[in-house]
Parts: sequence; structure tokens; C-alpha cells
Amino acid sequence: MNQREKERYLREYALLKQEGKPFFPYAVAKDGAMAAVVMLSIILMSLFLGAELGPKADPTTTTYSPRPEWYFFFLFELLKIIKPANLVPLATIGIPTICMILLFLLPFYDRNPERRPERRPIATTAGIFVILAMGYLTYEGAHAGAPTQIDMETPTTLVAAGGPVLEQFETGKQVVAQSGCQACHIIGENGNDGPGPPLTDIATRLPKQAISRTLVNPTAPMPSYKALQESEPEKFDAMVTFLSQLK
Amino acid sequence: MPKLKLPAPPIPAKLNPRPARPGSTKTGPLDVAAEAGISAVDWVDERTSISGAARWMMFRKVPKGTNWFYTLGSSTMFAFLSQAVTGVFLAMYYRPDAAGGAYESIRYINNEVFLGEFVHGMHKWGSSVMVILVFLHMARTFFFGAYKYPRELNWVIGVALLILTMAMSFTGYLLPFDQRSYWATIVGVNINGTGPLVGPYLSDFLRAGPEFGATTLSRFYAIHMLLIPGAMAALIGAHLYMVAKLGTTAPPWIKADSPVKKEEKA
Amino acid sequence: MPDRHKTKSKYTVDRRIPGAFEGETVTRRRFMTASAHTAGGVAAMAFVLPSVAFALGPIFEEQEQPWQDVGAVDEFDTATYVPKTITIAKGVGEAGKSTVYMRKFDPAVDKEPKDEYNDFIALSTRCMHLGCPVRFVPAAERFICPCHGGVYNFRGEVDGGPPVRPLDRFYTRVRNGRVEIGPRFSVNREIQRFSPRDPGEPLDGVGQYLYPSRPSIRKLPNT
Repeated sequence: MNQREKERYLREYALLKQEGKPFFPYAVAKDGAMAAVVMLSIILMSLFLGAELGPKADPTTTTYSPRPEWYFFFLFELLKIIKPANLVPLATIGIPTICMILLFLLPFYDRNPERRPERRPIATTAGIFVILAMGYLTYEGAHAGAPTQIDMETPTTLVAAGGPVLEQFETGKQVVAQSGCQACHIIGENGNDGPGPPLTDIATRLPKQAISRTLVNPTAPMPSYKALQESEPEKFDAMVTFLSQLK
Repeated sequence: MPKLKLPAPPIPAKLNPRPARPGSTKTGPLDVAAEAGISAVDWVDERTSISGAARWMMFRKVPKGTNWFYTLGSSTMFAFLSQAVTGVFLAMYYRPDAAGGAYESIRYINNEVFLGEFVHGMHKWGSSVMVILVFLHMARTFFFGAYKYPRELNWVIGVALLILTMAMSFTGYLLPFDQRSYWATIVGVNINGTGPLVGPYLSDFLRAGPEFGATTLSRFYAIHMLLIPGAMAALIGAHLYMVAKLGTTAPPWIKADSPVKKEEKA
Repeated sequence: MPDRHKTKSKYTVDRRIPGAFEGETVTRRRFMTASAHTAGGVAAMAFVLPSVAFALGPIFEEQEQPWQDVGAVDEFDTATYVPKTITIAKGVGEAGKSTVYMRKFDPAVDKEPKDEYNDFIALSTRCMHLGCPVRFVPAAERFICPCHGGVYNFRGEVDGGPPVRPLDRFYTRVRNGRVEIGPRFSVNREIQRFSPRDPGEPLDGVGQYLYPSRPSIRKLPNT
């Protein structure tokens, strides 16, 4: 923005201001109404959602799944996505710091005198992209299930059929959830997508016998579940039944 | 010396005192009361000249076309005030004691104190509302190009306020000392620690030692209720001063009537 | 505007100060300005420096890590891990405790050199990504982190996910048939011992220099 553009803006702004209205009471009335809306929503949220206190902090736990407050979900999801160990500092410190510096310096590298959003295609696109990206990461972070549980509804056909298969399905779900499969496999919304293949629809790719064989005799680095098959065969069978129903 | 004109008290016409007869010096009690208020304001103004500043702040013109988007900034400040007031009263019952006192005191606030859970809830949800408002306010500024000349410095102050708001939510999160707060803080402090070279020392500073220990909670408490709010209040003051000094922007698509047109109108 | 960077002559004559004695190069006004700044600076530092040092103190103070009894020798075997609770920070009761997974050293599995401090392997439950609590899953023989999906194998080495180094360990020793746990230490990919680092700080390659050890917590010397 050069001197001429600056002066042009100031002149235009002086005119606009002259044609405007006094801050008090015109703008203040709007501000007051908005403030009332804000306070009302805070009060309603407080009344209906309350301020629930979770269980007391326990540093010795090995079963708790920590989750951040919703406005840090985007960072939480970013940390999940970036896997290689040498890129971890990039996700934790690097990207947020770069974003902050870019925000701070925005008026100094965006020297375009134009102010209308539709005439600043790069800035507007970048802004919308950032909003969408943060929205997407927040959504994904909010939906991330813990890798020690499976949030999946039992298929209606199985429920209708009932009997031992349904029972085995439910037991198998518990066994799979507690056996750490989801550390490497994604099942529905739970677990990690990789290094192992997704198990969400494993039954469409592998028949039941093949699933059983893979569990006993897997390719490295997957651990063998042979010990489980020998010590608790009914648990192992339940596991295979559960997996063979995932389609 | 300028006299402040106060608006007439909103009382029904019947109750209004009759105007005094010309030449009569009799004054009713209402006149005395009104006079007392005005003279008190005058007394302060004579010693501070504050009416000039107030008039400069309140009766400045806002440009043509100002719409509802321009209320986001003031409502963010309002949310901050609400957080400040509810926070002060929560501090009356809260004990920053990691050995169990903190959790117990929050439980006491929730279960025993009159309106305790309500005020606690207002503080908790107020933080979410404030974060949303800060982001909306920033989006408005960005898309309207309001960070451009001559308001660059105000944008920088605004980004600093955004970071401080996030720091407030991070430090405040630990205080109830339940599972969620404890582990979120562990993760947050370790995120600080991944900064090369200075990171490890920074997280030692935040924890007051190599492990989460006896003074970590009081450290977070002091930062949450003294250090950052002080900085925020000062920055909000600067932000507001600059808004009043430079004026709020008009929406970018609004154009002033050209002087020629104006003459025609006149 | 006068050029402020112009070097001034060091001779009184060239300065042209009215009424200056020979040898004077500073005007009274300049001297007073400098004194005002100095006095103000000294007064401000008098409260800023001690308070900052007060807040930074814990960074330089070494934390004591006493040996703690966790059980008899025969409580642990080589096949699986036994969780034990120890205190890692004093004065905060339950909030200063942590869980440690323990087993006996197994020459068939453990490749690191044997010494007096690793008759028993004690793994920390802090995930080395960002410090979430990991859990040992016996069926898979893996440690699983519930936060961002870190997975460790039986020895605590990274199997998958974002963790930057194997799980931290504790020194162990045997005294009168009881197992004792000592200070924590961090390990790199070869299970070499390093002074404890926080999670998220890699130790391989340049990592150990980018994330230096801190004065507040150290491994045992010569180990």
C-alpha cells in the first residue's frame, strides 16, 4: 500500500464516518443486545449442561483415555495424523507456531489495498480453507473413539437371528477391544488406520478360516494369538466369529 | 466548563413537578436530588476532565453501514468480564491443593455452595463461548480486510489476545483436578516440551520441576488468575483505545456518497 | 533529522558545549537523562530479577529420587508384566504416584548388557509421544496408548504410531530379597541409558542434543 492509496483510504473513511451515526446510543444498543444474547446462552448452557466434575485425577491409571476440551480437538487430531517420530515436534510445536507467526504478521505480508473479500481471492480462499481444515480436524478429533473399545452396533440381522452366534459376536467384540487389535487396525470409528489393514469390512475379503489362520500364524509385526487359542479356545472362537461378521 | 446533560428521569407526566412560577425561587425535593447528581458528576469532572474522554469515546461516529457483525468484539469483551467476575467468586472457595484439596473444593462448590454449580457452569461454558466469539471476531476482521492500514497494530494486539485466551483455557483446565484436567495438562505440558533446546526447560518451568508435583497446581492457578488476566485486561484496554482512535471499519462494499451527489441532495 | 549514528568527536573543543571545562564531553542535560534511565532501570530490576529467579528456581534444583521397595523377588517372572505403584513426586499424595510395569530380565528377549541395575525390567506407563497412560495388553503382548495411537512391543520398543522413543525405564536393584525401584531414565532405540527426558523428545541422532538433559533430573552416574 503506497502513500496515495493510504490517503485515498483515509479520505474515503472520513466521508463514511461523517455519514455515520454516533456510537452511543446506536452501536451501543446493538452491542448491548448481542451481549444479552451471549449472557443468555452462557446461562442456559450452565443451567442445562451444568459443570460436571469427572473422577478425581489418578496418575496411576492405565485404563483412562484422555481427551482434550473441544477447542483443542483440531490439535489432538493433528497429533494423531502425524505419525513418523521425527515429525512429531513439527505437529506439536512446529505447525502451531508457524500458524501463530503467520497470523501475527498477516498485515505485513498482505499489502493489497483491496478490502472486499470477493476481490481478494487468495486471502479469502486461504481463510475459508483454514476454517474448513480446522472444522474437519475438530470433527474427526471429536469422533475419535478410544482404541480400547468398539462403538459399533450389532447388525440387525444378527439380533433377529439371536442364538449362540449373537452371543459369540458380543463376546468377540469385548475380546477384540481388550486385545489391542485396534492399536494397528481400524474397526469402524475406533482404532488406528495402520500399520495394519482396516478390519471394518474384513469379512468381505477373508473367509472365516483364513481369519482364524491369520490370527494363529500372522505376518510380522502382528503378534500371534496362538497362546489365546490354546488357553481359552472359546474366547478365540468368539474373536473369529466377531471378525467374520464385519462386512 | 461543559455541563453534562443527563436524560430526563422516566416517570409518568402526572408525577412530574409543575414548572416553577417565573420569579419563584422555591425548589422541590426532586430538583435538589437531580441537582445533587449533576453536581456530583460536575465535582468529579472538574477534577478529572473525564467528560471529554467519555464524550470522545461514546459520541464518536461509527461509519455508515455498520452491521451486526460489528458486535462480535464487544460481546467478546463482555464474555471476558463475565469470566473475570465469576472467576473472582470461584476463587473464594477454591483451594489449589493437588493432594486432594482442589478436587474437594470444586466438589464443595458444586454440591454445597448456594448457586455453586451455576456459577461454576457459567465460568466453564463462558470459556467455550469466549473462544468461539474470539474466533468469529477474528474471522470478521479477516474477511472484511479490517486488519489493513491503518489498523495493523490492532490486529497484532488481537492475535496476542487470541493466544492469551487459549492459554487461559489451557491453564484453567487443570484447576478442577479431575482425570480429564490432569491428563490434558500432562499432554499440554509435554507439547511445550517438544520445542527444541528451550522446550525441556519450559516444561520444567510450567511444572516447577521434572514431574507433576506439589507446586504445579498453584503455579497454574497463579498464571490463570493473575498473570494472564492482567495482561489481557491491559491489552483489551489498548485494543479498545485504538478502536476508538482509528474508528471501526465500514463493511468493505459500502461506498461513501460522492461529494457531487451530496451537493445535489442539499 | 540529524544523523544519530554519526560518531562524535572525543575532544571538548569539537563538541561546542557552552561553558565547558577542558575534558568535558557530556552536557548536564545528557548526564541527567542517563542517570534517570539508570536509576529507573536499577529500581525495576530490583524487583523483576529476584521474582523471575524465584519462579525459575525449580528448573535448576535437582529432585531427589529415593529407592522404593516394590515387592519380593519371586513376585515377578519373565513371561508377563506386573503393575506396581510408586511415588514419583513427594507432598501431593495420590497425585504424585505412578504405575510401573515390572518383569524379570529375560536373556532370550532382552539384548541390552546386563548390569546390577537391570535384574528386573521396570517400564514407565507414560507414553513417549505426549505422556498419556499406556496399558499392557497380555493377549497381544503390546503396550497400547489410548490418546494418539502409540503401540509398543513386549520390550517397550515402538511398534507403531507416533511415539518418538521406547518407553522410559526405572533402575531396579535387589536388597535382602526385595526388589527396589530407583530413578527413572530414558532410552534410545538401542536401549542405551540417557538422563530422563520428557515425552515427545527423540533421543536418536541429533535428538539427544536438541533436547538436552535438565539439571532437575539425572540418571545415575556411570550407567
